[in-house]
Amino acid sequence: MSQHRVIRRLVRRETHSSRAAASALTAGALAAIFLWLALEAVLALLQQSPLLASPDRLGRWLAGVPANTPPAGLVAAGAGLAALGLVLFAAAATPGRRSRHAVHSDRSAVVVDDEVIASAVSLRARLTAGLARGQVSTTVGRRAVRVLVRPTSGIPADRDKIGTAVDAELATYALDRRITPSIHISREGALGQ
Amino acid sequence: MSQTNRVLNRILLALAGLVLLAAGTATAAAGILPDIAAFWTAAGSSLMDRAGSLLAAAPLPGPARSWWAVAGVAAPLLAAALSIAWVASQGGGRTPRVARETDGGLGTTVVETGLVSAAVKQALDGSPLILGTTVSAWETRGKTGLRLQLQARQGASPREIADTADQLVRGIDALLGHPLPVLVRITSGTRTKVAGPGRAR
Repeated sequence: MSQHRVIRRLVRRETHSSRAAASALTAGALAAIFLWLALEAVLALLQQSPLLASPDRLGRWLAGVPANTPPAGLVAAGAGLAALGLVLFAAAATPGRRSRHAVHSDRSAVVVDDEVIASAVSLRARLTAGLARGQVSTTVGRRAVRVLVRPTSGIPADRDKIGTAVDAELATYALDRRITPSIHISREGALGQ
Repeated sequence: MSQTNRVLNRILLALAGLVLLAAGTATAAAGILPDIAAFWTAAGSSLMDRAGSLLAAAPLPGPARSWWAVAGVAAPLLAAALSIAWVASQGGGRTPRVARETDGGLGTTVVETGLVSAAVKQALDGSPLILGTTVSAWETRGKTGLRLQLQARQGASPREIADTADQLVRGIDALLGHPLPVLVRITSGTRTKVAGPGRAR
């Protein structure tokens, strides 16, 4: 495998969920059910009293479910099962992106938490506008960065200046996926800064 | 960087989801359409009868009475074993050694992760960008890879940290003599929040 492909694979694995938790949970539930079934089968073989229900009774119960349950109960139980199935299927089908971004590097795969990017963008915006800690908060999404500026009361914040600074800051990061910033200046100012 | 088989995970989750979805749809349909409920009951009792005649078809001396009863124990046991193997296959691949070189009968040289870890810690000691590091080695696809986790100081530029990491990795390359696949994770954690931004900023 070429160096480039190795890096791409590492980045992909680091920015997407492995679905290990959902997988382990499902497999654990399956293991419990199958172990219980095996135990009941052994108990029935040895003609001992069953733990919950013998395989024979279980089969009869399953066959009799539509006859012994009111239709509304059937619909509700079916909807519940289907919803659980949908959740599992969604876990399998959705990409499961994590809130991380890849940063360009010639040598290694570099993946940065979105929080780190947000904190650096906040600092840049704050220094540009000459504000105190806590007056700028940044949220980083997959394709967008939202910078919320709370200016000091009575001193308007210069949106364009902050915008240019944030643009330049993001450009230096060389993120492998472009993210576009949006600057929001809150109407309420902060007092006593 | 673990060896989790992600494609397999997704296939198995999709299968489990589809089975549950089908079972749920059938149950709900039995509640709405009486025809389906009647079919369910009929099919269920005929299956139970078939199972009864199967049990009698392959008699076995002793307490088990039938080969099919033995199969009824073996099949869920096998399924449970497969499920447990599925759980056990998650993760894995971490190794305590970064490199291993056998020198034609003269001996074997092993480089432990601790060496790289100590070198990285020393190189980054007092860095204005990075608060802490974790170094681990992983076996993926028969090759050893290095994973460098750097905890960023609040407000530190990801670019500067990435450049520092590149320099570090070049140093590790020189130390080991041959380049390894490297993953650098730049994270933020509790220490990032507690330590606050660097002073000279």
